[in-house]
Amino acid sequence: MVKEKNILIKGGRVIDPEKRKESVVDIFIKDGIVEKIDKNIGTAGGGTEVIDAAGLVVSPGFVDMHVHLRDPGFEDEETVESGALAAVKGGITTVACMPNTNPPIDSEHAVKYIMEKSHDVACRVLPVAAMTKGQKGRSITEMGLLSQAGAVGFSDDGKCVADARLMYEVMRYSIQFGLPLILHEEDLRMSECGLVHEGKYSTILGLEGISRLSDDLMIARDIMLAQRSEAKIHITHLSTAGGVEMIGKAKKKGIDITCDVTPHHLFFDDSVLTTFNTNFKVKPPIRSSEDREALVEGVKSGVIDAVASDHAPHLDTEKNTTFKEAEFGTIGLETLFSASFTKLCLKENMSLPELIALITCGPAKILNIDAGKIEKGKTANITIIDNEAEKSIKREDFISKSKNSAFIGQMLSGKIVYTISKGKLAYINR
Amino acid sequence: MLSKKSLLDIESLDLEDIKLILSNTDSFLEISKREVKKVPTLRGKTVFNLFFEVSTRTKTSFEIAAKRLSADIINFSAAASSIRKGESVVDTLKTILSMKVDIIIIRHSDSGTARMIDGFVNVPVINAGDGKHQHPTQALLDLYTIKKRFGDFKGLKVAIVGDFIDSRVARSDISLFEKMGMDITIVSPTMFLPEDFSELKVRYQIDDVIEDCDILYMLRMQFERQDRKFYPSIMEYNRFLGLDMERLKRMKQGSIVMHPGPVNRGIEISDEVMDVGGKLAERVVIEEQVTYGVAVRMAILYLILG
Amino acid sequence: MEKTQILSENDIDRVVKRISHEILERNKGSESLVFIGVQKRGVPLANRIAENIGKFERTSLKTGKLDIAFYRDDIGKNLKPGVQITDIPFDIEGKNVILVDDVLYTGRTVRAALDAIIDFGRPRSIQLVVLIDRGHRELPIRADYVGKNLPTSRSEAVEVRLKETDDVDSVTLVKNKE
Repeated sequence: MVKEKNILIKGGRVIDPEKRKESVVDIFIKDGIVEKIDKNIGTAGGGTEVIDAAGLVVSPGFVDMHVHLRDPGFEDEETVESGALAAVKGGITTVACMPNTNPPIDSEHAVKYIMEKSHDVACRVLPVAAMTKGQKGRSITEMGLLSQAGAVGFSDDGKCVADARLMYEVMRYSIQFGLPLILHEEDLRMSECGLVHEGKYSTILGLEGISRLSDDLMIARDIMLAQRSEAKIHITHLSTAGGVEMIGKAKKKGIDITCDVTPHHLFFDDSVLTTFNTNFKVKPPIRSSEDREALVEGVKSGVIDAVASDHAPHLDTEKNTTFKEAEFGTIGLETLFSASFTKLCLKENMSLPELIALITCGPAKILNIDAGKIEKGKTANITIIDNEAEKSIKREDFISKSKNSAFIGQMLSGKIVYTISKGKLAYINR
Repeated sequence: MLSKKSLLDIESLDLEDIKLILSNTDSFLEISKREVKKVPTLRGKTVFNLFFEVSTRTKTSFEIAAKRLSADIINFSAAASSIRKGESVVDTLKTILSMKVDIIIIRHSDSGTARMIDGFVNVPVINAGDGKHQHPTQALLDLYTIKKRFGDFKGLKVAIVGDFIDSRVARSDISLFEKMGMDITIVSPTMFLPEDFSELKVRYQIDDVIEDCDILYMLRMQFERQDRKFYPSIMEYNRFLGLDMERLKRMKQGSIVMHPGPVNRGIEISDEVMDVGGKLAERVVIEEQVTYGVAVRMAILYLILG
Repeated sequence: MEKTQILSENDIDRVVKRISHEILERNKGSESLVFIGVQKRGVPLANRIAENIGKFERTSLKTGKLDIAFYRDDIGKNLKPGVQITDIPFDIEGKNVILVDDVLYTGRTVRAALDAIIDFGRPRSIQLVVLIDRGHRELPIRADYVGKNLPTSRSEAVEVRLKETDDVDSVTLVKNKE
């Protein structure tokens, strides 16, 4: 067994996102485990990799709870391996991957497939299993067997369960297994044929619109169902002001509900569509500036619990075509931090520990996993950031198999310098 | 004699009725052990088996009971498809009444039908299962089985496992067992529970009750007749609600396993458990239930018509 | 209500002994005998007789209990006085069955008992023992061994009490005042 090199991180601004605090301390990692966190740890013998982190931010490794790895079935777009490499480049050490693969992750052996792959790749990959068989929205998956096999949540992401009775039974059944239902909220009839946000720009540009109602109707429905059933639900990739408002009210009522937002929904509004750049074609659509402001407010006020990329890889052939034909989605693993940091901290004056909480302990708590903190005695998952560094994002920069990023051409701050994943150095960019 | 003319549900039985039925069953059980399993008690009486729903066990059980009492029995099966609902039940009844029968035993797929028929005829009616509502003779034979094993009822812990919401057996058993002072827990997936079950003691997985219960009552789980219940799969059912050898071994000393029959082998109870031999076989009383079923039905017929 | 004692404890004892000898005489020994008592007081009487004979013959005799509730011909017309157990743990095929009851009245109870016994098998003979024969037969039934003949009127009742069931041995005639 090859022993991991010991690592000593010296003099960095270590963030504790749970306590929203930071302090300048050293971290010593022995055999992949965090052994000591203290001021001025002397070098512990030879064979130790010393990282001079003076002036750098030292954070727990990030947790991205909404990622599409396209594996099995669409390995041209991404695989568990390539996705994990892209993740650690983005400072992410734990990924929850969505089940809309081919075959979908709706059976015990499919969950086990992901669990096994997770052992061998650059970061930890946790499977989210399907809520309905084949994600067809007609019958419930073997939630008990899937949770025993290792699923961390259930989702039909990509689709929404239209049958309210079925959704209700899914919620009631899920409670005994203690896993969250991660809900993609879209009324498929309202959004039919829609390509972008229904608003001023869709009209000007002659593109079919998706009304806010598509999201809001389902959010309202599922809040009511959750209230009655007492299920634990998580609304993912929130896009509307209405959604923020309803979830805020629901939380006050004591309903067990959480939600996340993507960096691209925080960063952009529908004015970017004028170029017809298909990397802005996403679901739910990028909406108006009012919605964007409401989402930012939602993050600041705590209604929104996490930021997740909704990393959605697509081949060039799927994106380099007319706006109508292009597939929905943008990649996001490698820009999760820099896009969120640039928008929330630099533009909206949010504190760094607060931002980091949204991509570490926030999602970890939702998924009820042991992640998102730097703790003595636990495996080291640490990300070191140069938050002063600025970069203009280019297509060539991406190591994901797919290059459909909405951030190409943007100037983003916050560079990932080191990622320590599963106790070893997985990415270096000094 | 029973306090009411007909046996439609458990609710209308009082404790005296129940005691009377149980004590009479002892005698009828003895008759079933004789060489000549017959007594002339109901000679000349005509029993009408009016079964709108397919059933072999209950129908045969009533038939044997009637014949052992020397009564004449007429069997009427109406395949559901050949009869339009509601109207034809009444027409059928008119025909039966003009044949001058002494008692009608009714099974129908719609809840409340036994009561409807009771209101229509002037002979006693025994409910052999009406839709999802009640199956009182099953509950009584279950109670008798428990009596033979435990003697007394007070404080016995019963776990009823399976599709609760669709089960007339569960409803009748719960009414009856509660009357007798037993402690009942229902183990059922959420799809088979009512929206509000705050009045019941409920668990979702069989492991929660297996080491604690005195009586494990397994209900029949039908995957075909689902009507929008959405239960995932047989494998999921086996893992969380099924009775297999490992669970059978964990049950406490003196506890028993019951089932109204017929058992779906491999679904609610594994083949291994059904075929178990030796000491563990004593725990499974399913065949005894069938034996006692005839005696209980003899007692009921005797107490109503005798 | 007027009560007159007909048989005392000692009287009953003497009667039982006498009948036991009569049975032995008529059957030339006890080999083929089995005893069936009609519930409920026929049962202790049958046991006493069987015990007596057993002592004389230095052997033990088989006794059984019979409840005739299901063989009555007046079903539906009176309240059930509670069913007691039937337990005949031996084969009656080819045996001389000694059927024992406390009081012989209309004969309907004995008729029902005969029906029941035939359902258990084919005995060589059935002989009837009664403690009291009070007359008023409605069927052609007669007892082979009688403890005491007691002419009564229909308005009177014969109360038999035995230690095994009632703590005391006595037979009393109860007259209802008009």
